[in-house]
Amino acid sequence: MFSSTNWRKTAEAIAIPVGALLFSLVLFGLFCALCGKNPLAVYGLIYKSAFGNWRAFQGTLLRSAPLMLTALCTALPARLGLMIIGNEGALVMGGLASIIVGLTLSFGSVTPNAAQLQQVSGIPSFVVLAGMAIAGIIAGGVWIAIVGALRHYRAVNETISSLLMNYIAIAIMNQLVGGPIKDPGETIKASSFALPEVNRLANLPATRIHFGLLYGIIVCILAYILIQHTTFGFAARTAGGNVKAARIAGLPVGKLTIIICFLAGSCAGLAGMAEVAAVHGRVNESLVAGYGYTGILVAFVARYNPIACTLVAILLGGIISSGGALQRNLEMPDATVLVFQGLVFLVILYSDSLYGRFKIFKEPVITAPPPPSTSTTVPV
Amino acid sequence: MAAETLGWWGVPLGILAGTLRGSAPFLFVSLGECLTEKSGKINLGLEGTLLMGAMSAYAISYLGSEKWGMTPAASPWLGVLVAGIAGMAMGFIHAWLSQQPKVNDIAVGIAMIIFGSGVAFFLGKPFIQPQAPQLPSIELGQLFSGLPALQSALKISPLFLIGLALAPLMNWFFNSTRPGLFVRAVGDSPDAALAMGVSIKKVRMLCIIAGSFLAGIGGAYLSLVYPGSWTERISSGQGLMAVALVIFARWNPIQCLWASLFFGGAQSIGPALQAVGIDQGYYLFNAAPYFLTLLIMILTCSPKKTLSGAPGALGTISG
Amino acid sequence: MTDVASQTEPNTLPDLHTITAPPELEVVNMTKRFGSLVALDNVSLHLKPATFHALLGENGAGKSTLVKCIMGFYKPDHGDVLINKHAQAIASPRDAHKYGIGMVYQHFTSVPAMTVAENLVLSRFDSQTVINWKQELDHLNAFMANAPFKVPVETPVGQLAAGEKQKLEILKQLYLKSKILILDEPTSVLTPAEADEVLGLIREQVTDGKLSVLIISHKFREVTSFCDEITVLRKGKYAGTGVVKDLSVAQMAEMMMGEKREPQKVEKTPHPEVVPVLELKDLHANKDNGVEAVHGVNLTVHSGEIVGIAGISGNGQRELVEVLAGQRSLTGGQVVVNGKPYFATRKEIDNNHVFVLPEEPLKNACVAHMSVAENLALRTFDKPPQAKGAMLIFKAIRDMATNLINTFKIKTPSPETPVGNLSGGNVQRTVLARELSSEKINLLIAANPCFGLDFAMVDYIHSQILNARNRGVAVLLVSEDLDELLKLSDRILVISGGTFAYESPIETADFAAIGHAMAGH
Repeated sequence: MFSSTNWRKTAEAIAIPVGALLFSLVLFGLFCALCGKNPLAVYGLIYKSAFGNWRAFQGTLLRSAPLMLTALCTALPARLGLMIIGNEGALVMGGLASIIVGLTLSFGSVTPNAAQLQQVSGIPSFVVLAGMAIAGIIAGGVWIAIVGALRHYRAVNETISSLLMNYIAIAIMNQLVGGPIKDPGETIKASSFALPEVNRLANLPATRIHFGLLYGIIVCILAYILIQHTTFGFAARTAGGNVKAARIAGLPVGKLTIIICFLAGSCAGLAGMAEVAAVHGRVNESLVAGYGYTGILVAFVARYNPIACTLVAILLGGIISSGGALQRNLEMPDATVLVFQGLVFLVILYSDSLYGRFKIFKEPVITAPPPPSTSTTVPV
Repeated sequence: MAAETLGWWGVPLGILAGTLRGSAPFLFVSLGECLTEKSGKINLGLEGTLLMGAMSAYAISYLGSEKWGMTPAASPWLGVLVAGIAGMAMGFIHAWLSQQPKVNDIAVGIAMIIFGSGVAFFLGKPFIQPQAPQLPSIELGQLFSGLPALQSALKISPLFLIGLALAPLMNWFFNSTRPGLFVRAVGDSPDAALAMGVSIKKVRMLCIIAGSFLAGIGGAYLSLVYPGSWTERISSGQGLMAVALVIFARWNPIQCLWASLFFGGAQSIGPALQAVGIDQGYYLFNAAPYFLTLLIMILTCSPKKTLSGAPGALGTISG
Repeated sequence: MTDVASQTEPNTLPDLHTITAPPELEVVNMTKRFGSLVALDNVSLHLKPATFHALLGENGAGKSTLVKCIMGFYKPDHGDVLINKHAQAIASPRDAHKYGIGMVYQHFTSVPAMTVAENLVLSRFDSQTVINWKQELDHLNAFMANAPFKVPVETPVGQLAAGEKQKLEILKQLYLKSKILILDEPTSVLTPAEADEVLGLIREQVTDGKLSVLIISHKFREVTSFCDEITVLRKGKYAGTGVVKDLSVAQMAEMMMGEKREPQKVEKTPHPEVVPVLELKDLHANKDNGVEAVHGVNLTVHSGEIVGIAGISGNGQRELVEVLAGQRSLTGGQVVVNGKPYFATRKEIDNNHVFVLPEEPLKNACVAHMSVAENLALRTFDKPPQAKGAMLIFKAIRDMATNLINTFKIKTPSPETPVGNLSGGNVQRTVLARELSSEKINLLIAANPCFGLDFAMVDYIHSQILNARNRGVAVLLVSEDLDELLKLSDRILVISGGTFAYESPIETADFAAIGHAMAGH
């Protein structure tokens, strides 16, 4: 619905986050200056190593793919008024489920013996990958659906429970790769067996970016349509805006909560599958790379808009991918990226209080129509 | 640990020792969270505060004795103080930001976790290698027994004792002092507090800062007492669990103490079992506090009624 | 007799008998603006010592603004507060207290989680940090022994009944030794009997020369029985003053409203054939804190009938309405609509054509940040023409909204404006439009539909509800406004303590018996 009064809202919704991002860049520069680094050199290096050339940009896109998906894990429930931060856990569970399915379909066993390892099954690669994706979607979805169910049936705060579920998911993964699905051949890091090369997720033609980026963009567009253009999205937005109003309209709040949570978790689960099938090839601690936490930030900066999530994910993906260069070239700790993320997060939150404060974005007041005909004495 | 000589007795002894050693961070953070929530705000960011506290305490303790010529007995205490001050700085940011219009305190907490851990890891990077002087502990075991295992179990940090005293003190503060009553009024019924001429913003600002001071001290305990080193994995979510722990303790400082002991005990089950040679399910046992927290929240929360003892202005925590 | 000086000493035992005469309070030519809105325009008021003075006016006449200026909550743009003929600057409630002025607010200002004793001690404006509870309790017990009414000292305020809470608010001012009491609609949550008791005891204090009272009230009955003088405001302006015994109720009403108004004629069409639409069978429901609020009520509402439920707020009516609106789950019994069990699912709502006008529409029936159009579509967005399959058809939603905005005269810049940006009356209209525009309404549940609205809007809502009734709709009207119920209902019930304490057809309803039932005897 676009009208003459709506462009101001749109302009505000773009101007404030962009302004906030710029301001946090300034703050970050100050921080760098305090630590004795030249802020301009830092900015320059971030730009160069994230967006400077096609090769660097590919690295950025590679990192933004899981971010788009994990961001949805926060952004979708946020439309329902839930603040879920179990992205990392759902990603891990998705990765874990997908490797179990992937290995079973490839070798006939999660812990194949030497003979089985030599004999990759004849199941077509796309079937294996589809199976892995479904497993990841279901595992991640169920993981966050539990959070939603606890919220609805037991009024357990979803933020805290989803955060605890992150720790639990990581513990389950460590337990499994440390024993039941451990690859004894892998001595450096307790890991699962590796997927055979033929069943890995391919790269987009002529790039080193895997198909996960495409998953991310498509899922974000679907999520946008779901929220803004379907009756389901309308119901979810209503319930998120005011549960009491939703109940008066007879909307099934519990069902909405659990479905939205499932969808949210399944996005993060799909991210886990893509990471396993395209990047790591197996499951181990490397899967816990902080994409979940950065995804929360992406969702916030994008103000829970799935389309905006894709752009913000690319921006923040770039900053993450510049972390290595900061460490190598300027000898800054790898936590620099975390500091920057924290600053962006804080400034973005502050910017929430700025909505409606600028006159330029306000709707012009329209002169009131005459009072209703039933009114005889006092005008309203 | 001397569990080998004790056989199976090592398990309860290990848990006892772990309780005495491991519950102090829970205690400080939960008392800090309790104070914060009594004023009607949630500080989920205490996890970040804890890390800042741990890092700054360790760094100051090291710098004090190695670079500034302090005695190794004094520098850890300076570290504890600086940890508290670092906590207060974090608390100030949280208090200011979370009281802006339309800004959600839970979201600020998440941001503070990321920001706090980022700054702590950034500044703490040079201090991962060096060894900083630790806080002394009181050898309570020597009074009772010659058993070396028992002696090592009954090593008690003075910080833990301070925490023990703090719980009843805070309880007294809430019940028998005017400022304490004002905090409760602000947390339970801001309108009423406003009518009494109390500045809600100021009270919450002070409570959040004081609560973060305690969380910072809790962090100092992690790096200067137990486990007693500075690494990026030093906190295992105590700052987050504190939020659930305060719900479990029904916003009562004395019950925060019991709950902290309980959690400290749960945390030591994994290591205690490993010490007697049970390796199976090591990771799962280590995750016991998280399972336990979740379980407690499932059992204590209810959609049908608001929790008794919950500050009235604390809308978002339990439903 | 101690003089005024002793009153500022901390910890002196408040003794009602030692209080000297209250000071004289005058407000001279006070003006207060909020942006472009002039809330108070050159208003004056004279509260003579030891008198009971009523401040009258319609909603929005500026009464609350005036007393908040006296109390130091607002800084007036112009004008003075004179105490014993001397202009005094009052910048905060603490300053007001210094001059012996204390206010009892419309809403309770005690902290529910704290005990009566804690609340009283906390209300004192002194700087003592540590509280000696033994000493304080001795003082409080001595104070209670001399107070006009008693409240248990060690009970948490949350556990007190509404009447006791209001008594505590007044006691608090006596405890603070306020000698000018400003009461802002103090009886709105009390039963008529409780109101009479509280006001009667305060009246005694005034007659004894210990207190002056400035009361904001809408109830002429209270004004004529307890007050000495009145000052009337109209649309922010001074409209007159007078001595109560020289004025008739009609004259006071005329001062308030500016001109005489005939009460609207209520025309009810008789319905010869009625069918039961809504049946409540042994319905139980809990409050938020898990305590049972509705203790098994039975009720049948027929087509073409308005059943009114009266009661003091907090007696279970809110929970009852919430159950019927689908906002609260019942803990026992059954709701039956058109002969079938009813759980307020969307399907049942649609099939039975049930509509709800809840109290506080912005809180209960709207999504503040969603647009007026979206809020208007809340009942229809998933049905053609507004939806095609799972997809929303925005044009249809907008067309319907434009239509309803015109029909129900909702003042909004555009259909896309968030409903939270509209004024209270227009939010109400939005909900009315949504709930009353359907071609087929079978059951209408309304709860305090006119709360806080002006006369024109009230007339409008009443006519809409009557209209619905005359078309054969079954209406359940829950209201705290007895006049409204007596005007609209065909049958009236009183809810008290979660059960129905009175039931009568409107023709034979007895006002005294209703009041008695509301009081819970």
